[in-house]
Amino acid sequence: MSIAEEVLEITLRSLAVSGTATLLASTWSVPLAYILAKPGRLRGLIASILEALVGIPTVLLGLALYMLFSRSGVLGFLHLLYTAKAIVVGQAILVTPLITVTACRVLKSARESFEEMALALGADDLQAMAIALRESLPGVASSVVMGFSRAVGELGIALMLGGNIRGATRVLTTAIALSVSMGEYDLALYLGAILVAISVLVSVTVKFLEEVKGP
Amino acid sequence: MIALGLTAYWMFTPHVVRVRISTTTSLYQTGLLDRLAERFEEKHHHVTFEFIAVGTGRALKLAERGDVCAVFVHAPRLEEAYVERGVIVSGRIFAYNYFVIVGPSSDPAGIRGSESAAEAFRRIYRAGEEGRALFVSRGDNSGTHVRELSIWRLAGLDPQGRPWYKEAGQGMAETLVMADEMMAYTLSDISTFLSLKERGRLTNLEVLYSGGEELINIYSAYVVESCGGAERMYAEEFIEFVAGPEGQEIVASYGEEEFGRPLFSPAASRLQELKALWEKLAGAQG
Repeated sequence: MSIAEEVLEITLRSLAVSGTATLLASTWSVPLAYILAKPGRLRGLIASILEALVGIPTVLLGLALYMLFSRSGVLGFLHLLYTAKAIVVGQAILVTPLITVTACRVLKSARESFEEMALALGADDLQAMAIALRESLPGVASSVVMGFSRAVGELGIALMLGGNIRGATRVLTTAIALSVSMGEYDLALYLGAILVAISVLVSVTVKFLEEVKGP
Repeated sequence: MIALGLTAYWMFTPHVVRVRISTTTSLYQTGLLDRLAERFEEKHHHVTFEFIAVGTGRALKLAERGDVCAVFVHAPRLEEAYVERGVIVSGRIFAYNYFVIVGPSSDPAGIRGSESAAEAFRRIYRAGEEGRALFVSRGDNSGTHVRELSIWRLAGLDPQGRPWYKEAGQGMAETLVMADEMMAYTLSDISTFLSLKERGRLTNLEVLYSGGEELINIYSAYVVESCGGAERMYAEEFIEFVAGPEGQEIVASYGEEEFGRPLFSPAASRLQELKALWEKLAGAQG
């Protein structure tokens, strides 16, 4: 395999792994954000805990999950360790607080302004929810993009749960770390440029789609 | 107050010379360098050593960029390339130990009792092809990785791309933990293996093959040519100290209390022999 082919393979794996992780995280983060977007003491407490977890060090989460997935860990029987699936699970957990917290902000204002109005105009609960969700779609999409950016750019989880195995679990960030440790700075910068380009491209595309579809 | 405190701190800290040394993680993690530096600093109060522990490739790259004043490494083939370009000078061999082939105690490939490292690798290859064994490679162009590849070449085999051959692209400790989890074989320097084993981090792995000079692991120290002034003076003096009688005594006994056996052998008594072996390793075709 040539270097270019390998870089392409690593890039595609990064996209697939972090994309899956982000979508997976969204399936529970967005509903959670919707629930939390209403005033309440318990809701406020959960929201502030999640806010604090936004910046959790990835190696710490990686280590905790490694202990779970390890042969001698509680979930060792799943044989997830050192597979791409393990990275997906880890990154999905990692980005959950970020997506929830940022989506919650948007949903809160939408619920406040639109939901009450809809209810007052005679809509039922489901219709009111649909309206609030539709109105906050651009904001929620931004949250998901942020989640993807965090997932694709993280190193600790991919390294600890994936193991950076060539042809199996090597992603852009672990490939960058490896190039740096080998003193191959040029390759590291090149891979880094791809990583940044992907994040920017995804963000711009989502923005573009919103404008096309816009209200 | 904080600003005042910081100012006072900087003003009253006596002037010390900082000597930056890049080294490989496997060597740094044993603690030998810290011990040697402590002894040296006892006699030279105005000097402090800062070790930057990175992969061998990066350790030498830092030297090339002039970010460090000395390097302590163990990859003759890589060292040779930088010596030739004049980046590092006045090399001194100061210690050696051996690489070992470790694997699960059940030894599915049956490498115990192999006649050579190449023979052990051939057995692992065969067992790998039959789906009975895995091998985790460092895959990071480190000293250990370079040596592993040369053993495969000696065995006349190329495992790259085989499904049972996993290239980890990580440090020695991480690679050992991976091999332990996967019940796989790997090549390790004895010191990293012992220190992890001692801490209970490796439950399945055992030393299954340890050889003689075919698996020798030679540690050398160099001064970086672009470094100058007091930093270079102390770097040179430190390397003299490490290779001298007092340093060699520390090398010889280091690790005895913690691991029950020394982790390194001093180079001084076998210097000619080691130099010849170093040349052989440096010239090995890659």
